[in-house]
Order: sequence, then C-alpha cells, then structure tokens
Amino acid sequence: MVNESGQLYTIEGIAAGMIMLVTAYLVLGATSVYTPGDTHISDMQLEQLGTDALRMMNTPVNGTSESQLREIIENDDANAFNTQFLNYVNSKTGTETDNLHYVAEVSYRNITDGGTTWSYPLADNNRPLTGGEHPVRVTEWVIVHKTLPPDAPYAPKDRAVLVEVLLWRD
Amino acid sequence: MTDDAGNLSIDFLAGFTIFMIALIYVATLIPGLFIGLESQTIDYDAVAYRTGVILAEDPGMPDNPAWETFPDERRDEVLRFGLAISKDHPNILMPQKVDRFFCSTWSYDDYRSRAVFGDYPYKYNISLKVEGEPVIRSTGEEKPDGYGYIRRVVKVKGTSNATIDHEKVSKYDYISHDNVTNDVFSIHINCTELLHNETIKNPVYQINPLKDQIMINITDLDQMGNTSINTSLTDITIYRIKPISSNSPLRLAPIRTFDTPYIDSETSSVSGLPVKVTKNITMIFPPGFFSDFADDTTQLYVFLNFTHDSWKQNYLNNTWNEGPWNVSKSFEYDYNPVNVTQPELKDGVLEVAVW
Repeated sequence: MVNESGQLYTIEGIAAGMIMLVTAYLVLGATSVYTPGDTHISDMQLEQLGTDALRMMNTPVNGTSESQLREIIENDDANAFNTQFLNYVNSKTGTETDNLHYVAEVSYRNITDGGTTWSYPLADNNRPLTGGEHPVRVTEWVIVHKTLPPDAPYAPKDRAVLVEVLLWRD
Repeated sequence: MTDDAGNLSIDFLAGFTIFMIALIYVATLIPGLFIGLESQTIDYDAVAYRTGVILAEDPGMPDNPAWETFPDERRDEVLRFGLAISKDHPNILMPQKVDRFFCSTWSYDDYRSRAVFGDYPYKYNISLKVEGEPVIRSTGEEKPDGYGYIRRVVKVKGTSNATIDHEKVSKYDYISHDNVTNDVFSIHINCTELLHNETIKNPVYQINPLKDQIMINITDLDQMGNTSINTSLTDITIYRIKPISSNSPLRLAPIRTFDTPYIDSETSSVSGLPVKVTKNITMIFPPGFFSDFADDTTQLYVFLNFTHDSWKQNYLNNTWNEGPWNVSKSFEYDYNPVNVTQPELKDGVLEVAVW
C-alpha cells in the first residue's frame, strides 16, 4: 500500500489561490480608480495664485511707502482691495482674463478682552458663498498701524492681523 | 504505533511558503499598481508648477557671478534659469534676468534643460506680462488644447533714472558765470552710499550701480547760455575714487569713457564723441557697465566735457567754483527722490504651460 505521507493534496487549492492572486492583480491594475486628482491640482493652482496675490499686495512698490494691503486694512478700503485683488488673480498674459471670486476677512487678537480672536469682513465681489463652491483658503500676515478693535481705548499701534481669503472659480 | 504529535504537515509547509512568496510578490507590485492612476495631465501640471517655482522664486545657478551676465559663449556654464532677485525675495524678478531669459539666443533645448527639466521631452510655453510694457514676452511653442499650467503673480524691479532739467540747474546753481570755451559737469555715483544705505537695505528697492541700469537725462540745454554759440559734447569720462588702503590719499583717476549717449531725443545713440548738442543728453549705462571697475567701496564720477565754438557764459557747469575737477557740487545720484526717480516694482504675470 502506498504511503500517503508527504503527498500534496492541495494542488487544487494552490491553483485556485494563484488564480485568485493573478485575478486580483489584473483587476487592480486595470481598474480606473477615480481620484480627485485634477481637483487637487486646481486647488494647488488656486492656492498658489491667491498666496502670490496677497504676498504681492503686501509688498511695497518702493523703499519708502507702505504696502497696498496694509493701507487697505488701515483704511478699511474694501473697494481698493476688490479692485487690486481681482486684478492680480484674474490677470493673464493674453488678452482674456480669468473669472475668480472671493470673500476676504481680517482676524486679530483682541488685547482688551484677554486675547480672544476677532474677525471682521474685509471685502468680497458680491458673490456670497452658497456651499456648492469648492473654495481654497489663502492667508497673509500683515503688520498694520491701527486701533483694534476700533473702539478699544488705546491709540493706533502696530498690530499683526491675518488676512484670510476664500477663493474659488465657478 | 508511531506518535505523530508535533509533526508539521508538509501540506501546511508548502501552502504557507507559497502564500508568503505570493504575499511578498504582491506587496512589491503594489507601488507599480498606482502608476496607472497618475494621469498625464497631473504630471504636466506638476512640471509646470515646478518650472513656475524655479522661475519665480529662484535666482538661478550660478548666482555669483550671476548666470545672466554670461555671454553666449559661456552658455554651458548656466545650470539653471531663475528670475528672482534672490531666494529671500520670491516673486520679485530682476529685469536683467528677465531680459537675458527671454533673449533669442537660447535654444529650445536650453530652456528645456535649464527651466523645464525632466527626462521626458516636454513642450512648453513661458510668457510674462509686465505692467506698462507693450510687449508680452514669450518663449516656446503655441499652446495646444490641453496642457499643464501654472500662473504666478510677480513684481519686476524697475530702474532708477535722474533728470537734470533747468529747474534743478537753477536750484543747485549748476551754471558757470564765467565766460569760457569749456564747461565740465559732474555726476557722483556713490556706490558705498547706494549699497550700504541705512534706510534702504532691501536689495529689492536698492539702486545697485553694479547690477542695475543707470539712466541720466540732461535736458533744457537750449535754455542755458547763448544758443547762437554751438556746443559740442567732447567726451564723457568715468572717474573713480577707490580707497586702496586706509592710509593712502583718495585720488580721482579716469577709468573708462562712455561714447554712446542719446543726443537731442534721437531714437538711436551716437556712435562716438564729440558730437554737437543743443537740447538734451541721455546716458543709459547698461546693467553691469560699472561692475568691471567698481565695487561697493567705490565712488564714481561721470564727467561731461562740453566745448563751445566761442566764449560762452551761463552754461551747464558744476566744477567751476574752485577750479577744474572740483567735485564738491557734483549732482548726486542717490536715494533723494527729488534728484533721482527711485526704482519701483511693477506688477506682472508669469504663465508656464507644459504639454
């Protein structure tokens, strides 16, 4: 009688396992998995553009003047922000322009009430966020010479404020 | 009877071995599985982004001496393009780098190997629009329908210039009241003061005579002296004072001439001096003109030597008071905005498309 010791009875199992592995590999390799890759890239482009725009607005044009962004915040000049920011983010090298929308606000620490963070709207381009957009958030720290909050009992002095902009494309 | 407790089944051994080999094999394949998920568009966008960063945030390599100063014969020494003034000032572009970058002497492959990079032979279009400039600078091919893209908001450093008109001449008393046949006017470019100024320390706003273009206009010459007597600009000579050691006396020494001013609003410069002049003189010293013979401790004087056909009075002269080559009344090319229009940053947009 033939001794069964040492026999491999699981050839079917091995074959089935190999088939399953090969199948799994082929399926994984052939499947188009839809990742939000393009959205991510658009986000990156928008973030870069918005960051650049705020940085350039916060760069004085010469060695003796203040930056546009600082003057805008000190004077609460929403129109100037709207014009300048849209000019920066919508400009292209060709004749056509982009069509971006934004909402901007300013945050600062209120030193009169123990340091809580206060915010107020700075500007927008009359396109309120409805929730369906896919905005990116860009920020820039700015040093301003101002009394914050406006009714605080101290004279204007240098304060660091954070300009936050939500930026999106329709 | 043989006790088989503790024996390991060969079935189990074989199955476990195959399983482990398969597991290791599949694990090594997993990174490769995701290659298919990366679309070409994403790749192009990433390359465009990288090129945008290199151009807008990097000064290029080599940086000292700067790549933009290399002539075409030394193009192989340029390792990487970059337009930023320095790494510390991203998005602020240097006009000399911009001019050199968009110079037509670079080939398609030069841009590809120094700005776009990558093993794949990407096609590209790089364009720059600067506020106030009528021409959009561009290099590369026309963009197809689909391409990777990045847009950077930048500023380009402007150039300084000085205009010495009748008003300034009266204000600073740059008039010789002697009846002479020769007048000399001097302009002082103090490199030490310009590059080590206490107030203007940021290179973005500095007037750098070693790197920047220096432009000097002298106007209203027809409102000085007797206009019926012809005047010629005989020569323009650059003099230098450079402290060699702390003990040696300072001495003015002629170092170079400048023979290509623009005379009387002509659109092209003259090819040599002397030349007859009636109304105005424009001297445009190109970037790097002074760098061969000056550094940040040098004081430079630009002397304009005028010769009249006959005795002439009340003409442009600020060296007459205490004898020739008196430089105490020289026109100062400095950070005083009354004297010199200071360099300002101009807005610009840089676009990179890759496909």
